[in-house]
Amino acid sequence: MTEAYTKPVPTLDDLNRPFWDGCRKGELRLQKCCSCGHVRYPIAAYCPECLSEEAEWTPLSGCGTVFSTIVFHQVYHPAFKNDVPYNVSLIQLDEGPRMFSNVVGVPPGSVKVGERVEVLFDAVTDELTLPRFRLAARP
Amino acid sequence: MALASEIRSLRNRVAIVGVGASPQGTVPGSTSLSLAVTAFKRALDDAGLKKHDIDGLLTMPGTTSPERSDNYLRLGETLGIDAKFTGSMTMGGSTAGALIQQAALAIDSGMATTVACVMGDAAKSGNFRFAMAGGWSDSWGIWGMFSAAANSAISASRHMALYGTTSRQLGEVAVACRRHASLNPDAVMRKPITIEDHQKSRLVVEPFRLLDCCLISDGGACIIVTSAERAKDLKQKPVMLTGFGQACSGRTLEREDWWYVPHQKEALERAYAMAGLGPRDVDLAQLYDNFTISVILWLEHAGFCKIGEGGSFVENGRIQLGGELPVNTAGGNLSESYMEGWLHIVEGVRQMRGECGPRQVPGARVCLVTGRGMKLNTANALLLTAA
Repeated sequence: MTEAYTKPVPTLDDLNRPFWDGCRKGELRLQKCCSCGHVRYPIAAYCPECLSEEAEWTPLSGCGTVFSTIVFHQVYHPAFKNDVPYNVSLIQLDEGPRMFSNVVGVPPGSVKVGERVEVLFDAVTDELTLPRFRLAARP
Repeated sequence: MALASEIRSLRNRVAIVGVGASPQGTVPGSTSLSLAVTAFKRALDDAGLKKHDIDGLLTMPGTTSPERSDNYLRLGETLGIDAKFTGSMTMGGSTAGALIQQAALAIDSGMATTVACVMGDAAKSGNFRFAMAGGWSDSWGIWGMFSAAANSAISASRHMALYGTTSRQLGEVAVACRRHASLNPDAVMRKPITIEDHQKSRLVVEPFRLLDCCLISDGGACIIVTSAERAKDLKQKPVMLTGFGQACSGRTLEREDWWYVPHQKEALERAYAMAGLGPRDVDLAQLYDNFTISVILWLEHAGFCKIGEGGSFVENGRIQLGGELPVNTAGGNLSESYMEGWLHIVEGVRQMRGECGPRQVPGARVCLVTGRGMKLNTANALLLTAA
């Protein structure tokens, strides 16, 4: 049996549940404004462009580019003490939004700004699947 | 641009007439309240004012102030001040400058005569680690993205990738601040360091090493503001608020250039416009240095060099005393004490008075002071001039 998962988890509510349900199903999806078409992140009740409340969840390609990338050596949260050094990257998704995640599968300090990445889904508990990224296969 | 001309009319109408700081660093037995009170008393003495002269009280709750945004009430009660104009503000490292600007507006409009801006924080003794994560319901901490350091590391990593900025150039900022702190008897970290010391310091959040990061300190600071007219009769040579400006990126991930903290440039442009001054007029600068990269970004935003050239600008002692633009002459957040930028203003005032002894910039008439805070969201700039 696995140990209890003690890292931060999303505070689930009606607003963000479709995102996390999507991750469990292997789909990266974000809100697209029904009024102006803006695809937004972070998940929000209002479109930050036009303030419309109407949005639909749209599936994304899961492809993006490393916008910036850093490596944690300091342990800021005790649950990450066995993970350091680990990578955190700001991912520029092809559909426009940017999100924080981890680029995994390569040494954490080897990730470069501008590299192409693709999403993978990491089921960290039965209930929670995290979107992370790996270097994209060359076309 | 009616608004711009109205703000321009505030040029040199309000002055800083008193500054005070408590002991800094590790202050045994201190609390955020005791540190604030010590700073307040010292600023009153500095200004030659009595408590009853203060009719405005603006405060920043320290990270260890249990009353949080009710801090103005706690301080008002403790200091025995029934203020005509009061409140607390939490804009991180931009708070000090923002409160002074708020005080200036209140004084100029007649809502208050003399305003004390006060903070105290026992962050060191209280072991506050600045480990907060952004992201609201979907915390960035889900992916291990914690701390103030990490937000600025994101800035630094992209700046390095786009412009070739190096870790050694970041180190130049740390070396300059430390050299200046070595000349400041009140600074916490006074032993000079070299670029090699910077390069050998442990990794915290790459690209940052330990010596890229500000201190965590106990301390308090107070800055007293009044009208230029009233300032003429007071003890100290007044230091004029010649220009000021603010800006904020409320949007974070939604703004593509968020990493570059673009609102800093907007705040600076507003301050320059109000003052009728530009970068060539600035004799020295106190640039908010929560991390070394911040100084490099400020230098670009303030027009001392072009975008992407901040890394080479800080080389060859250019930002050290005796250089082209001395920066953080008391040691800054990196080496003097981490008072979230409050001491940057205190130092700017002392430089404009010409009372800084071995670290005084000779003949300095114009000092730029900047602040930035939260998750690369808030920014402000002050242009202080000698009366």
